[in-house]
Amino acid sequence: MPDRIADAGTEIWKRSPGTLRRRETAFSTALVAPALILVAGIYLYPAIFTLVLAFADFDMAALEIGRWVGLKNFLDLFANAAFVDAIWRTIYFGLLIAVGSTIAGFLIALLLNQRFYGRTLLRVVVVLPWAVPPVVAGVLWGQMFHADVGFVNALLYRLGLIQNYQIWFGDGQTALHIIAIAEIWKAIPFMVLFILAGLQGLPPQLHEAAAVDGATALQRFRYIVFPLMLPVLIPLMLIQFVWAMKAFDTIFVLTRGGPAGRTTTLNYFVYVEGFQSFDLGRASAAAYSLLMVTLAVILVSIVLRRLATSRRISE
Amino acid sequence: MTGRRAREQASVVLIHLAALVVFLLMAFPLYGLLLTSLQPEAIIRSRELSFIPSTLYFEHFREVLAEGHIVPLREGLINSATVSTLTAVLCLVIALPAAYALSRLHVPGARGILATLVSVYFLPTTIFLIPMFVILVRWGIDDTIFSLVIAYSGFVLPFVIWILKTFIDRLPREVEEAARIDGCSHWQVLTRIILPMARPGVLAAFIFAFILSWVEFLTPLIFTSNLKMTTVALGMFRSTIDIQVGQQAAAAVLTLLPVAILMLVFQRLITQILMAGADR
Repeated sequence: MPDRIADAGTEIWKRSPGTLRRRETAFSTALVAPALILVAGIYLYPAIFTLVLAFADFDMAALEIGRWVGLKNFLDLFANAAFVDAIWRTIYFGLLIAVGSTIAGFLIALLLNQRFYGRTLLRVVVVLPWAVPPVVAGVLWGQMFHADVGFVNALLYRLGLIQNYQIWFGDGQTALHIIAIAEIWKAIPFMVLFILAGLQGLPPQLHEAAAVDGATALQRFRYIVFPLMLPVLIPLMLIQFVWAMKAFDTIFVLTRGGPAGRTTTLNYFVYVEGFQSFDLGRASAAAYSLLMVTLAVILVSIVLRRLATSRRISE
Repeated sequence: MTGRRAREQASVVLIHLAALVVFLLMAFPLYGLLLTSLQPEAIIRSRELSFIPSTLYFEHFREVLAEGHIVPLREGLINSATVSTLTAVLCLVIALPAAYALSRLHVPGARGILATLVSVYFLPTTIFLIPMFVILVRWGIDDTIFSLVIAYSGFVLPFVIWILKTFIDRLPREVEEAARIDGCSHWQVLTRIILPMARPGVLAAFIFAFILSWVEFLTPLIFTSNLKMTTVALGMFRSTIDIQVGQQAAAAVLTLLPVAILMLVFQRLITQILMAGADR
């Protein structure tokens, strides 16, 4: 009965004259308007403002654009080895976290998809880092790798793996990888939840049929689970990549971009230029360079995906 | 047959072993932080490695919460609670009508609007923060609660709209349509029918908005300089003197605690809503 009423409702709606429709459009626009105004004021206008600033020198004392400098900000940046290094470092850092969190997330999701004693508890524990604010994740991993009081040093020393307590953040490469560990640890819950949902969406018959046909667990993974999960894994990996490139909190807390700028990614570079050197023009140019790199990464991944699907179809 | 049983047993052992390793890797860092926050500095500094505490020491918490401590945690907690609540309320008020319209009504350019909202999460935040900083300083409202609420609302709103829209999408349409036939206006449908039915979605959206505001770091770092205006996530890094490890851990635990409590209490709701959004 309610269904019939509803059907009748839609019928009336379809037949209703154009004025009603227009009135609805006006009403719905009014509902969306405040959100759009806020978004336009906080995104659109500033984003354009930043683009304009990228071609100018900003006068911090007068709080206005000093003079137009054309491409000078960009040319200066690309002539600066520290900036160019930061671009490559950002891509490497993003890739590290994307691949690391996908592999770790996939392995843990596969594990949680099995039956074992304490699975529910493990599930809760795996999701925990999600509740950790990025700043706290930074503090926590900073303390883990602390040169004097860190558990990592204590443990490795006790196990005889190191002769002396290591100053982990003294070396740029090591420090960058520790930041990546913190980011991956933080990203794992998100990845596990979504990959697990994907795994549970796989038709169980496939598994059973393959098992009956005598496929080993490894073969089932290689030829069934892995290919079927790729459409889930690739977008998740891309999301992590893009998010990692805008990481800030952990870098600020753990290294402040140091030592000697060796852990400065583009986003951190923008912060230093803009809010420590207060060169807003150059910071804006750097911010837009980061945007370009982000778009390039997304574009490359879309092209790769197209190629992969077309190859699969042609096979 | 025995070979097969042995293999099965081996895989059972292997799975449990893997579970233990994962458990330690994911939980230990948090446990370590908690442990450090509850140990006197002397024990933290000593190189005795003990993972099970012999004493529990609460002084770090008392010290960082004391008035006038170099870590302005007390102000930070109050400011963050205020800013996060205001942001969440503002976002809900703006997002609920928008989400309803996007879900149920004909909105010109709806797809474009939704795409823009989502894309915001993939763009570098600094693009928005640089000019916002200039504008706030120009208007003389940098270093205020207000400036943070405005900025946070912008960052949180797209997510809140997305959550609410997903939730409303899944509500049955029959009730509304019946109400429309009975002569309810769209506004009445929104306030009398959608709002009560969407209560879990609204709660989830509020929690997300609160948490996202609570953990925001870069915005207050740039927008505030007055210690009285600091947020909790920022407080630890506002002192020019290095603070003791134990106190730092205690401050971190206090920053984490409200988020962790909200997440644990509402874990089921939160995962349900996120997963529902990911389905599509």
